[in-house]
Amino acid sequence: MGLLSGPLVGVLIAAFLASTVEFVEAFTIVLVVGVTVNWKSAFIGMAAATLTLVVLVGVFGTALVIFIPLPVLRTAVGFLLILFGLKWLKKSVLRYAGVKALHDEEAIYEEQQAEMRARGERPSNAIDPFGVVTSYKSVLLEGLEVAFIVITFGSASASSVAARASGITYAAVGAVGALILVAALGAVIRAPLQRVPENTLKFVVGVMLTSFGTFWGGEGIGINWPGEDWFLLALIAFYLLATFVLITWLRPYGKHSAKAAGANEIAAAGEGH
Amino acid sequence: MNRVLGALKATYNFFSGDAILLGAAVLAFAVGWLLAHPLNAPDAVVAVVFVAIIVASLFVTLRREIAGRPRQR
Repeated sequence: MGLLSGPLVGVLIAAFLASTVEFVEAFTIVLVVGVTVNWKSAFIGMAAATLTLVVLVGVFGTALVIFIPLPVLRTAVGFLLILFGLKWLKKSVLRYAGVKALHDEEAIYEEQQAEMRARGERPSNAIDPFGVVTSYKSVLLEGLEVAFIVITFGSASASSVAARASGITYAAVGAVGALILVAALGAVIRAPLQRVPENTLKFVVGVMLTSFGTFWGGEGIGINWPGEDWFLLALIAFYLLATFVLITWLRPYGKHSAKAAGANEIAAAGEGH
Repeated sequence: MNRVLGALKATYNFFSGDAILLGAAVLAFAVGWLLAHPLNAPDAVVAVVFVAIIVASLFVTLRREIAGRPRQR
């Protein structure tokens, strides 16, 4: 494996993990549409949203790779990845410390299903425009972050145009792998994917986005990192350590244990309906 | 006008949604660039300042989240 393949493997892993989190969230809504309306509408909406995302990645990814000089691209990508990474890290640190309730797919599923039933949606065989649009919107909104990560990660991961194009391919492969995994799990389980450790995935992805963002953003403003690409590992280790310190500091302020947080969300969803 | 503001707010929420993190990221890049280019500071200094601002922003925004919360034993 050459030096190039290290960051590319990181790109693939980060895209896969980030996509898994987003697709699990989108799958919950697709499942609600499938169960409450029909699977035909749910799948049409999902397929249309996936197609939209593929077009977005193709158009914007190609444009970035061809037209934007690498230093400018790395500065911009670094900046955006740091923002994204810190946003994800903040949420997951607050959840680990118990300051914020954990994301609960079961509660969200029940809430969404009650909302759709309240609208008068009932199972039928015909394609339902509301079901298609609901499924399309959820996959598109969750998938936009995935598309963004695929484009930025892939396009900034190497120096030559050809290698940058393959970077986008690596990131896209990670995202598609996550989509296939979530879809396959969902098809087998036919229930909200509660057991996927969403917060842990969000935490890992937050660390990776922030580390890659720092690395590329730093290169963009003129920092020559010691050890070049290998310095990414030092940044990952540093951010892991820093966030563990922050979680330990915040823990006394948290009122939710992990289980209690989930139970609270379910109770709140139940009270709402 | 409301639609423009709505679009701006949605874009802000998509990318950051947190003024502290956004401001700190801008600051980190601005200070890093100033140190690296006009001031020709050593790489180590630029790197430490750059990373320190990023970590500090996470600390500050988390501190804001727990403001007013009692510390449990």
